[in-house]
Amino acid sequence: MSDVQTAADVRVLHDKSRRTGTEVSVIVRAILGAMRITFKNLFRKPVTVHYPEKPRTYPDRYRGLLALVYEEDTGEEACIGCRLCEFVCPPAVIKVEMLKSEKRNYAKAFTLELYACEFCELCVQVCPTDAIVMMKSFDMPTADRREMLLDKDRLHAIGQQYPRSWATGNKLRDMQGPPKMARTEHAAAPQAPQAPQAPEGAAQ
Amino acid sequence: MTTVSTTRQELDYAGSERLTMNMGPQHPSAHGVFRAILQLEGETVVGVDAVIGYLHRCHEKLAETLTYAQYPSIASKTDYVAAMTSEFAYVMAAETIGKIEVPRRAQYLRVITSELQRVASHLLWLGTWCLDMGGALGGGATIFLYTIRERETILDLFESLVGARLLYGFYQVGGVRYDIPDGWAATCRDTMAVIDQRIGEYERMLEENPFFLVRTQGVGVISRDLAEDVGISGPLLRGSGVAFDLRRAAPYSSYEDFEFNVPVETAGDCFARYRVRMVEFRESLRIVRQALDKLPEGPISSRPGLKSVAQTRIPKGETYARVEGARGEVGCYLVADGSAKPYRMKWRGASYSNLAVLPHVIPGHKVADVVAIMGSVDPVFGEVDR
Amino acid sequence: MMEALTPFVAPFIVMNAVLGIVTYVTLLERKFAARMQSRIGPYRVGPHGLLQPIADAIKLMMKEDVVPTKADRPIYNLAPIVFVLPCMFIFATIPFAPGLGVADLNIGVLFFLAVSAMEIVGLFMAGWGSNNKYALLSAMRAVNQVISYDLPFIFAALTPVLLAGSLKLSDIAAAQAGGAWFIFYPVIGQLAFIAFIVSTVAAENRAPFDILEAESELVAGFRVEYSGMKFALIQLGEYAHIIGSSFLGALLFLGAWAGPGPEWLGPIWFLTKALFMFLVVTWVRWSFVRIRVDQILALSWKVLLPFTLLLLVATAIVVVWRGPGV
Repeated sequence: MSDVQTAADVRVLHDKSRRTGTEVSVIVRAILGAMRITFKNLFRKPVTVHYPEKPRTYPDRYRGLLALVYEEDTGEEACIGCRLCEFVCPPAVIKVEMLKSEKRNYAKAFTLELYACEFCELCVQVCPTDAIVMMKSFDMPTADRREMLLDKDRLHAIGQQYPRSWATGNKLRDMQGPPKMARTEHAAAPQAPQAPQAPEGAAQ
Repeated sequence: MTTVSTTRQELDYAGSERLTMNMGPQHPSAHGVFRAILQLEGETVVGVDAVIGYLHRCHEKLAETLTYAQYPSIASKTDYVAAMTSEFAYVMAAETIGKIEVPRRAQYLRVITSELQRVASHLLWLGTWCLDMGGALGGGATIFLYTIRERETILDLFESLVGARLLYGFYQVGGVRYDIPDGWAATCRDTMAVIDQRIGEYERMLEENPFFLVRTQGVGVISRDLAEDVGISGPLLRGSGVAFDLRRAAPYSSYEDFEFNVPVETAGDCFARYRVRMVEFRESLRIVRQALDKLPEGPISSRPGLKSVAQTRIPKGETYARVEGARGEVGCYLVADGSAKPYRMKWRGASYSNLAVLPHVIPGHKVADVVAIMGSVDPVFGEVDR
Repeated sequence: MMEALTPFVAPFIVMNAVLGIVTYVTLLERKFAARMQSRIGPYRVGPHGLLQPIADAIKLMMKEDVVPTKADRPIYNLAPIVFVLPCMFIFATIPFAPGLGVADLNIGVLFFLAVSAMEIVGLFMAGWGSNNKYALLSAMRAVNQVISYDLPFIFAALTPVLLAGSLKLSDIAAAQAGGAWFIFYPVIGQLAFIAFIVSTVAAENRAPFDILEAESELVAGFRVEYSGMKFALIQLGEYAHIIGSSFLGALLFLGAWAGPGPEWLGPIWFLTKALFMFLVVTWVRWSFVRIRVDQILALSWKVLLPFTLLLLVATAIVVVWRGPGV
């Protein structure tokens, strides 16, 4: 049992470890082989993307900027001010005030501190009305951090400005299987999700 | 500043002039924020004092204030290079206490993403290690850029699966949050084929290279006794001749369904650890291919989708869940008290225990070897300081 | 008055040309290295980055000159100058075309080798005067390394001297006229060329022998406390030394200005060959990790020095055996 390795031990272990042959041909071949690989790379196309002239392609599920959306059929704000997103947010960046009304509730004030947001998509997942979604873009460079404190108007504006990502609250919850299927293994595929997001077949 | 402990006076150097040099927390090859106070005699290191804690962010306290639904996203930030590993340990601990079954499809998805994370993490390790040894302007940077180029393709895979590149929130108690989209399996196979071929290129660039060999063979030898005493894990342990891999010793999440080899080398030097990780690349790709072939149908979570923050309650109990991460054993000791938040959570960071071997191994080597050894230990300071 | 100024015209032109070449050689290296790493180098400053060196030069001139409090002022301030002067002097004896040079000394090669070894003084002054342990460690390594690699460098450079029979650089270039470049000399030429390249790379602290400025360990080594114009001078000196050695290598081994085409194309060919040697050095730099200082010294004393010594003796034997007039 060696508590500390003295220098003598290090030297002994050093000598016992493997050594490769020091033949000149091996060395020369290895050096030339390494240089050949870097030389080959000289002629490969560079992987640089000339951002921002060329836009970056975002995948469907990209977790970008957050936005509030309007309902598609009525054109009203989808957010009902239920504050579920505020409670689930791990860094607590969302603040909502509810405004009660006869038919449905609204959000009187909705602030989201984007500079502290983790982009974890939990708020999107819990939203019962699919009101808060993420966009397929993160382009919001600014010189002043206060511009990243988004209020309701800015959130709605972002929602109109960029393409939306795939995820909404209902889609994410449906993907995790209806509650009836819980605790049974090898169950049939869940019926609810939309066709393009059906679970992958085994043979691909 | 603390002084060098007395055990190091046994070193047989008639020290005439000792120089205390600080490899400070801001250093191009400190792998994060790590402070090593080196005592030098000429070029030889005779003492090492390691100072950590520059990245402490109170994870364990945070876990007491966040619920089981919220914390997995934060858990990514401990080992941010292989983020899924930390989430896995936490979620597994909660599931063990609550006796929650995880559907088979979710288990296979967890295996796929864990192994892809291992590949991505090892790519970053190889790049930064060669960067440390070769310099930011030099051959090391070339290999760094090659491995980062490959790692980007894996991160693109994760982006199309989860939406995020580095810090996911992929796991949740009971399963996973996202299912694989159409065409992902095919892209995954193509990516893995490219990576397989490129890893061959890196091996050819490095393995017979006399410069590389002379830097890594015989350097930083961890004897088998020392390895077992100090409590290191992962590729460090397997590079010193101890055949211990949690995926074999205590299989979790249906790892027993897959065929793979666990590489073990006996030399214990940096080159042995390098060989272990290079073989682990190929084995991880093998596991992912098997998992994609045998991926069963079914739900991806045994708990319903998240509807409210306190949805998941874990009954009273405590357990220690361990996962074979890219760096070693990542463990989570969880004490649950029946509510939606844990009572206490403790992380066992793999890198934290691995760093303990440094004061035993570094004395006797030259300054240039310090970076080679630290690179082969592969610490990530999010895990060390939490 | 004009006659008094005439001796200064040629050196003035040569120095400016050297400065221009050195500045743009940095860009060449960056683009070449970038392509080897699947990226593009400087791209935005000027078309394809052509104005990047000028932007860098202006930036360095405008930077604040920070002097550490406890630095040894005279040594600290003089070190960049002492470093850069020998690196500029070496261009004095290089003939860029037959008859076109600053001073074609009879002892051209000796002058070059002797003066280029003087830069170690400036290097050590920089390391000591900075009052910084990293710089001091780097300077100690530098003294070791540069001195031990200057010897094989000298012996490898003396091999063409023996083959040509003269220390005068234009004579050596003339002896290779007609395509009989010394690199094509059976066995001895190629071995001497390889030894020359290896010792050049090491004597100039280029990777894989750049232990003394190992960015990942010593964070720029002896240069760490320099900023602004002083740093620019040190950079200039380093690259000038590399280009100077490339010119020397092109002259000793690759036939200098020999090449197809008319006479006035000679300097262009010379420049091309020097840049080719520079690119080989760069290619080696971006392909390998560095080795430790004791391994570097072992390589020099145990391998390279005996090798070049034996090569020199063998060359001498061959020259004598083939008789005079060869």
